[in-house]
Amino acid sequence: MSEKIYAWLLSLYPSQFREAYGSEAMQLFRDRMRDEKSFFPRLRLWLDLIIDLAISIPREYRYSPAAPYAVSVRQGSYGVPVFHFIEGRSLRPGAILFGSALSCLALAIFWVFLSHAGNYVGLGIVTPGQFENDSNVFQSQSQPSDSPNSIRPTDRGEAFTLDVLERLRVIDAAVVILKKYYIDHENAQKMAEVLLAHEKNGDDDAAADGDAFAALLTRQMREVSPDRHLTLDYSPDLLPEHPDRESPEALARYNAVMKQQNCTFEKVEILPNNVGYLKLNSFPDPSACQSTAKAAMASLNGADAIIFDLRDNRGGEPAMVMLIAAYLFDHPEYMYNPRENTTEHSWTRSPVPGNSLADKPAYILTSHSTFSGAEHFSYDLKMLKRATLVGETTGGGAHSGVWHRIDDHFGMGIPETKPINPFSTTDWAEIGVQPNVKVKAAAALATAEKLAQDRLRKK
Amino acid sequence: MPKRKLDPLPSTAFQILLSLIDGDLHGYAIMRQVAEQTDGRMRLGPGTLYSSIQTLLEAKLIDHVDSREDAKLGPERRRYYRITSAGLKLARSEAERLADLLRVARTKKILRGRYV
Repeated sequence: MSEKIYAWLLSLYPSQFREAYGSEAMQLFRDRMRDEKSFFPRLRLWLDLIIDLAISIPREYRYSPAAPYAVSVRQGSYGVPVFHFIEGRSLRPGAILFGSALSCLALAIFWVFLSHAGNYVGLGIVTPGQFENDSNVFQSQSQPSDSPNSIRPTDRGEAFTLDVLERLRVIDAAVVILKKYYIDHENAQKMAEVLLAHEKNGDDDAAADGDAFAALLTRQMREVSPDRHLTLDYSPDLLPEHPDRESPEALARYNAVMKQQNCTFEKVEILPNNVGYLKLNSFPDPSACQSTAKAAMASLNGADAIIFDLRDNRGGEPAMVMLIAAYLFDHPEYMYNPRENTTEHSWTRSPVPGNSLADKPAYILTSHSTFSGAEHFSYDLKMLKRATLVGETTGGGAHSGVWHRIDDHFGMGIPETKPINPFSTTDWAEIGVQPNVKVKAAAALATAEKLAQDRLRKK
Repeated sequence: MPKRKLDPLPSTAFQILLSLIDGDLHGYAIMRQVAEQTDGRMRLGPGTLYSSIQTLLEAKLIDHVDSREDAKLGPERRRYYRITSAGLKLARSEAERLADLLRVARTKKILRGRYV
């Protein structure tokens, strides 16, 4: 196709030039097409050709020898028909003017295309929605990196410097993402204006590093609307361009790690007084860990009370939260998740066949490290008065909805959903989940055991 | 018909002459060589390139040598060009003219930093 277009363009040259150099010019075009394959070199190639045509065609007509006017009908080379071509005559001034205007128009179109091509922002490409997969909703980079579910950036060892260009790039991308995805369009517009105004006033110059800059932009957005779920985050490690686990290799790696770690079900045992104890260090993907989870819960089925130890649990998959919570109810129960719209998946799949834990006392051990998905589990069971939380206030990780990568180091958490919170106007975002019984994390297990024991005795 | 001018020598023609100093080249190789020696600032399109080649051929500053394959680019035959002694002489005098110009510029102290 490209060759045909260029062959047609070549036919605009005077016949003397075409006869002398047409095949060579075509050969050169083919050589460049072969060597300049990716998007930008190809774009540059076409720009070069347009400029070249605009300059060289009038010149060739100017210098081509005058020939008797002749009209010919023939089949052009490269399969392009050429109709009634008047040879050897200089172009009229009007035709040159028209050609110049056409070239300017083509250049203008290229310019507009370049300015709006896919939110291009220098070296990083904003691809909103890259992380829109529901399974990634807990996986913002602010999740501590030792969670097996976190997306681990690969450190390519490049030093990061926050310069003016990077700041502008982040702000421009944040404006685009806000306008496109933020749930409240009116506030999104205002936030975008505020970000740009602060930038224009030089207010962002004070930010010395990535963390300070991200915190500053987050504050600026929240000047418009105090939305705790809206964040702009900085990661010193390189953020992956695509979720790791989408590739089969990464999935295999994840499955292997889960197998090696028993799906992070660290301890499953029966404590004295027939109290079941489950130490779970993440909420792993059911696609890899469903059978492990079911086996663990089955082995605790005969317990008179159950303790979920989430002190080292930093979150994971909402589906696993729902799977385990299902054992605590004898009917489908609504579980609020600030990051997902209310769907049929917002209800537990209770009752679980053969399960006898639905009416047993439940305790959840928490710490300051308890995070994200673990807070989802703790918050809902506390609000539903189905479990007693023992320990410390949790970490407060409710990065909402969809994570949008801006570049190697910056990204945004954007609430795109408005799920129903039947319990309260606030959730655990940044403030954490308050335990029912506040004790040091180290003392939480003993406290919960005692609480369970006392309760069982009263029965 | 107006005659193509080579006085003063257009920069495109000068660059093409320079590209042929080290040996015979075909059109695409000339384009690449010119791009390389100008750090990518001058990328000759086919029209400009062959128009300049035509001018240089007419002025006998370059010559058409033969047509042969370029092993690196495939079996297609390509026309090779060679700089003539007149071309070499003109390139040298143009370089000297530019060197003179540079000397004047230096004496006027309009240059900063190190220049060769």
